[in-house]
Amino acid sequence: MDLAAFAVECASKLGAEYAEARLQSDVGNVYLMKNGNPEVAGFVRERGLGIRVLVNGGLGFASVNLLNRRLVEKRVREAVGMARTSVRVMRKPIKLSYEKTFEDRWEVKPKVPFDDVPVEEKMSLFSDLDKTVSSPEEVGVSIPYRVFQLIETTTEKHFVNSEGTILPSKIPRILFLGLLTGHEVNRGTEQDSIEKAESRGWEAMKEWNLMDHVKERAKILGKILKTAVEAPKERMDLILGNQVVGIMVHESTGHPYEADRILGREAAQAGESFVARDMLGKRIGAEVVSVVDDPTLKNSYGYYLYDDEGVPARRRFLMKNGIINEFLHNRETAVEMEVASNASARASSFDREPLVRMGNTFMLPGDYTFEELVENIQLGVYIKTFGEWNIDDRRYNMRFVGRECYLIEKGDVRGMIHRPILELTTPGFYGSIDALDRSLTFEGATCGKGDPGQGMPVWHGGPNARLRNITLGGM
Amino acid sequence: MTAIEDVSFFIVDAGLKLGVDEIAAITARGISKQVRFANNEVTVTQTWDETSAGMLLKKDRRALVASVTDLSKEGLRKALGDLLHMARVMKPHESYAPLPEGPFKYQPVQGLYDKRVSRLGDEGVDYVEAAINSALASGGKRTAGTLLTRDTEYSLVTSKNVEATHRKTAVNLVVRCLANGESSGMGVTCGTTLGDLNPEKAGEEAGRLAKMSLNPVAGKAGRYDVVLSRIASAVILDIVAGMDSAFYVDYGRSSLVDRLGERIASENLSMYDDARMEGGMGSTPFDDEGYPTGETLIIEKGMLRSYLHNSFTAKKYQTRSTANAGWIDPHAWNIIVDGGEPSEDELLGDVKAGLYVNNLTYVRFQDYRQGDFSAVVRDGVFTIEKGEITKAVKGLRLSENLIHVLKNIIALSRDAKQISHWWMEWDTPSVKTPLLSLKNIGFTVPTK
Repeated sequence: MDLAAFAVECASKLGAEYAEARLQSDVGNVYLMKNGNPEVAGFVRERGLGIRVLVNGGLGFASVNLLNRRLVEKRVREAVGMARTSVRVMRKPIKLSYEKTFEDRWEVKPKVPFDDVPVEEKMSLFSDLDKTVSSPEEVGVSIPYRVFQLIETTTEKHFVNSEGTILPSKIPRILFLGLLTGHEVNRGTEQDSIEKAESRGWEAMKEWNLMDHVKERAKILGKILKTAVEAPKERMDLILGNQVVGIMVHESTGHPYEADRILGREAAQAGESFVARDMLGKRIGAEVVSVVDDPTLKNSYGYYLYDDEGVPARRRFLMKNGIINEFLHNRETAVEMEVASNASARASSFDREPLVRMGNTFMLPGDYTFEELVENIQLGVYIKTFGEWNIDDRRYNMRFVGRECYLIEKGDVRGMIHRPILELTTPGFYGSIDALDRSLTFEGATCGKGDPGQGMPVWHGGPNARLRNITLGGM
Repeated sequence: MTAIEDVSFFIVDAGLKLGVDEIAAITARGISKQVRFANNEVTVTQTWDETSAGMLLKKDRRALVASVTDLSKEGLRKALGDLLHMARVMKPHESYAPLPEGPFKYQPVQGLYDKRVSRLGDEGVDYVEAAINSALASGGKRTAGTLLTRDTEYSLVTSKNVEATHRKTAVNLVVRCLANGESSGMGVTCGTTLGDLNPEKAGEEAGRLAKMSLNPVAGKAGRYDVVLSRIASAVILDIVAGMDSAFYVDYGRSSLVDRLGERIASENLSMYDDARMEGGMGSTPFDDEGYPTGETLIIEKGMLRSYLHNSFTAKKYQTRSTANAGWIDPHAWNIIVDGGEPSEDELLGDVKAGLYVNNLTYVRFQDYRQGDFSAVVRDGVFTIEKGEITKAVKGLRLSENLIHVLKNIIALSRDAKQISHWWMEWDTPSVKTPLLSLKNIGFTVPTK
């Protein structure tokens, strides 16, 4: 019997009505180059067992990484005991939704495994990037501060629960991060963060064409520093770029539709939601707006086929034509709202409990071309990328500061605008959208939630969107 | 192999046999327990039993690090071999510095270990229940939060004659209370011993602030004089401490670049890092390279006096390590801002018209170098009129520049207390701070 099955059996013998165990290893190589200097390289290799038990309606979790039966049994016993004790401070027992059981295996096979690529090649890629970006002749501006980071991770899980589900899985993920600081005399500095991420092998790195991408972003910093002017103050129309739409739907649809937030379980840290359970079916946005979350997108950073409760993944239609349509559920929130789980339970490592999380959240594209979005705008701003952003804990009051932005006049995209500030309520955002173009692009991100924190790989994305009658914010 | 010293010695010996120039190993074993609660109920109890080893290997001016949980001899040998392989193809580090030559004498820090914390079992649920009851009795309706207890042992061994061990405990209870969806309060109680924990007080504070937050009026954009609670002040000071790491200064992820010796704050602010603070949640007798720790003055009456360094960053900046290693990035241990003259009531009493802010969340920067940022205010945001808290306010966002905030600190309350909570996102283990009073701070609101 494997250790995961042993842990589940121990818990059942000790009286748990439900138990699940996840034997998980995360093996990751990390490379960091700072201002042309190979600052450090190395790896993280962690493997351990996480077990979750339900006892008399109380939930307990324990993890160990010294993988011997004596220690596993000790911690299972403790998890069962603590769960039993916790019932004293509960009004009603926790239940889990009924779900089918599965014995299945899923895996993403890299075309080019990370270990097949020599470290020399990876470091020389960084050196080439740095050489190019640090050359004002190449990018048209001084970039005195540059940092590049590459993280390659392979995650293997063996999930077992007391209902009979057995799900081994294996997935590679690759993440590139960059931070560039451009400087122009008498204009100060401008920074840009770059993030590319997929659930693939080294082949992703080749297809990203990083050199051109990073070079282009560096050039844009120069243009901002040399040419950007203040944004207009009056009420006007906006075009929000794919990247901006992506982060906005992640923050203002994805998070507030997480059922654990709606039910208050995350109130102490990340917060709750302005969306109440009885708002299903209510209008929140314009007819043209639909938002989905889909963990099954091939190559996506938030890819998975079964969640960390063993439920098969599917597309979730969160907002349909402006109407609140579906929340993100794990088995605990699903039974509370009398639905089935839609496979949103994810844990970031063996030592974390599964929480309700997004996979890949995006706004569905429309049928305009970009030119059609712009052509009848008399005065507006095109916010192509963003820098600063935040949102309140109920996901109602949000702010995004543009990075690469342009003035729109009489249907034409013109010169650059310096850091326009978009400060809107969530209904104000979704209610102001009147058209979407046909494009759809995604950005990789690591979404934070939980205590202790869990960084979760996700994508967010969308088309270019047109908003009517907006006044930019800020002081 | 699980005795942590044995693991550290094995790594160093095995590394030297493989031909590395220098090597350091940190092995840590920790048992952490958490009771999470929401809606006045326990939602989950958790126990983490974790033992891991970190290794820093140096070869031909290259530096490599690894963290592993497989502590078998075979697993450790493989990890070292893989690191050495990586070292062979890396380029040399431009600011290479050797590990410090030991042995060193380490004086223990007082008040860091309480065996009652390591033995705490089911009683954790009692502490949570006490906090919930206190919050509800103070006018709150729903409480949520976490109680975390931790017992961790560390062993550091290096090839430069450093052998050190350290054990410490920590307790941290965060209570957030809601009187309705928009009206909330928060209380924190934390330290290194069970005696530091006051769940009733944290619950009372959260419940009282939640009740006071009922019926908020919509805030108006503008500039205000502001009093920040310790919880909110800790968020700002945590960021300053993080940005003071020479590692972040070095690549522009800091508003303190090129400002050594300059005024970055009002003369009312002095801030230092003290790794030897009695009862400090981040206290340690030695840093990750083996240097004996001490106190580093960061801001002296508003002037930036020092960055935080490890050996690499110290070499680059042609100075000495401040004993704040981190093998990769130096970091603060306990940030301390000493209190000023006025009591909390006197501090509030001096504000004719302004705001009181209890918590800052989601602090995000447009540009770390320039320091422009905004933050969501919550868990008790009130108007102050003629020195008295009057009405709850909603919908405001603090929109500022970090240096402007620091330069506009006009007063500090008398008592500084140790704070640690989830929204200290730059990971300073603890900040000991009084309330801060600031003038002319910008706030914005949504336009639609």
